[in-house]
Amino acid sequence: MIPAGIRAPFSTPTTWIAAGLTAIGLASTVPQAHAQSAASAAAQSPTGLWLTTPYPEFSAQAGKNVSVPLKLANRGLPPQRVEFGVDGLPGGWKWEIDGGGKPVTAAIADPDGTVGLTLKLTPPEGDIGKGVNFAVSGKTSAEALKLPMAMTLTKTEPAKLTLEPKLPALRGTAKSAFDFQVDIKNDGQEDSTVNLLSKAPPGFQVTFKQGYGSQELTSLPLKAGESKTLSISVQPPDNAQAGQYPVAVAASGGGASADTRLLLDITGRPSVSLSGPQGRLSGDATAGQERTFTFTLSNSGSAPARDLKLSASPPAGWKVTFNPEKVDEIAPGGTSNVGVSMTPSNQAIAGDYMVSVRANGDGASDSANFRVTVRTSTLWGVTGLGVIGASALMLAFAVTRYGRR
Amino acid sequence: MTSRREGSPFAGLSTIALKEAADHMNSIRIHLVMVLVLLTAIGSVYAAIGQIKATVGEDQFLFLRLFTTAQQPLPSFVFFLGFLVPLVAIALGFDAINGEYNRRTLSRVLSQPIYRDALLTGKFMGGLLVIAICLLALWLLVTGLGMLLLGLPPSSEEITRGLAFLFASFVYAGVWLAVAMAFSTIVKSPATSALCALTAWLLFTVFWPMLAPLIAGAVAPVDPLDPLTAVHQIDVQQAIARISPNTLYGETTLALLNPATRSLGLLFTDQLSGALMGAPLPFSLSVALIWPQLAGMIAALLVLFTIAYVSFQRQEIRA
Repeated sequence: MIPAGIRAPFSTPTTWIAAGLTAIGLASTVPQAHAQSAASAAAQSPTGLWLTTPYPEFSAQAGKNVSVPLKLANRGLPPQRVEFGVDGLPGGWKWEIDGGGKPVTAAIADPDGTVGLTLKLTPPEGDIGKGVNFAVSGKTSAEALKLPMAMTLTKTEPAKLTLEPKLPALRGTAKSAFDFQVDIKNDGQEDSTVNLLSKAPPGFQVTFKQGYGSQELTSLPLKAGESKTLSISVQPPDNAQAGQYPVAVAASGGGASADTRLLLDITGRPSVSLSGPQGRLSGDATAGQERTFTFTLSNSGSAPARDLKLSASPPAGWKVTFNPEKVDEIAPGGTSNVGVSMTPSNQAIAGDYMVSVRANGDGASDSANFRVTVRTSTLWGVTGLGVIGASALMLAFAVTRYGRR
Repeated sequence: MTSRREGSPFAGLSTIALKEAADHMNSIRIHLVMVLVLLTAIGSVYAAIGQIKATVGEDQFLFLRLFTTAQQPLPSFVFFLGFLVPLVAIALGFDAINGEYNRRTLSRVLSQPIYRDALLTGKFMGGLLVIAICLLALWLLVTGLGMLLLGLPPSSEEITRGLAFLFASFVYAGVWLAVAMAFSTIVKSPATSALCALTAWLLFTVFWPMLAPLIAGAVAPVDPLDPLTAVHQIDVQQAIARISPNTLYGETTLALLNPATRSLGLLFTDQLSGALMGAPLPFSLSVALIWPQLAGMIAALLVLFTIAYVSFQRQEIRA
């Protein structure tokens, strides 16, 4: 703190030593005063009454209120009543001294106490670039305190925002999340609340988060000169075709706005799905007899699926063949039919078996569990009928031989 | 036969069948046996319902479990039926012919314009009618008890399987009725024919499961160095066990009332690879599975009836 308090020496004999010390302190430069008080030890701490401020010279925007903190400090003296005034202000200026939230005109500083005050100045419009010298004065019964201050009126600088992405273009598939780190900075002189906006292609979802936070934002407060890092996450739709997609991000607040362009480079990806006949994943087959099911391979991805090889893991003793064995290419959105011929084992028992059918290609694969209900041969049924028929024939023979007695 | 008589051999068949059924319905013997069957059936089903309520949370075939669930010390309803249905059939048929003969009413009946064909067939039909009525009543009783105590209606699949079970029980009872009637025509004394029929019943229900492994061991000994002989022995043992109608009936009810049953014989693990265990078989496949057993029982019924028929036709009946 720069000591700026000025006081006249006391004339009363009881305080002449203190007054003398104060006079020395006033006469010397600041570092010397510190050095002196350190050398004179705690017993010789300065005694007196000061009116000080941390910022005696400052600049302020024209037309806006200025608040300057003041302090009235009393060291080693009885309570001092001080009446305030401001001298040297040009016409049209208004001033007010506040203490404890109320306008005050006088204050009493207790021994070893400090009273905090605020000087409020209202400069008139205009007068830009002009320096104004004025002084805050305090009057006690015995002395007059004077605090000279200087103030320069400056033009109001326009609010300014900047948005700067760290990595403006990202590459990924339609299923990956694109996270952009963007620095937002308030270069203006005023605090403001910034609204965040985005414009993305249809189906793209843009969310704003701050830093590593988890809350989604629509706006954020930025103090003058403050910079924050935004995390902008863009989620493309799953069916986005391969290509480059721009996303415009804008921030606006306090009469300023900034925008930046982010680029998503989506690479295509095939996505293959395998489905059974008419979408069903079950079918009937007879033990030992071939049965052909038509499976459908469809590509719901954004790039062609290539070199799809078909394979199956059938139960022991089964034979599974494919027609064709390999599908060369399926365009995005296209389908291809594959005939799957299954021959259950001769030894297969009646009931359900699970056959896993797979299609493996470049970067895409799918598998389907196909449930086959095996029917056993009807040979035994015929044999059973034959046995019953034979015994019925025997009965018929007995009737013709011995009947009607 | 030198002289062929004229007219239908089955004239008077329905009269005899209905009269026979009415006689059975009024006889003390059948009342006693039926009370025994009813009590055991109600007891086992009531115990089964208690067991189902306590343990089974959700089951696709809850009503079929009524027939198969056993709770100590009571065996399941199916077991009781397999054990007692032959007894009912024997009680109905053991004195069908020789009883009439001993009461000297046979010649009186045959002096009417009724052939022996019609008499024997009519008595057999009458017995079958009584058995059918009893089994249907029993089946309805069990299903009704199940609906009452479980609070659920049976599904159509359960009703289909239940009816197939009813039919299998009917055929099984028919086999034992044919056995009893065959003895009643061959043996002159009702007491002896009853004992013969009961002996056959005891042999096949109690002793046959013990005899089958012994016979199989003698017919197909196991060579310790050749594991396939063990498989062969089990096949032989199963074939011998299936001579007993009790075994055939047991396998039939197992496949019909437990839809997850997929095979009744020996299975190798490679037949089970990829198989979904516990998945219920469709009704048609279950029927295909037990059709040989059912066909065997029907054929046995026809053969035994033919034996009774031939024996009766060739008998001297004037007393």
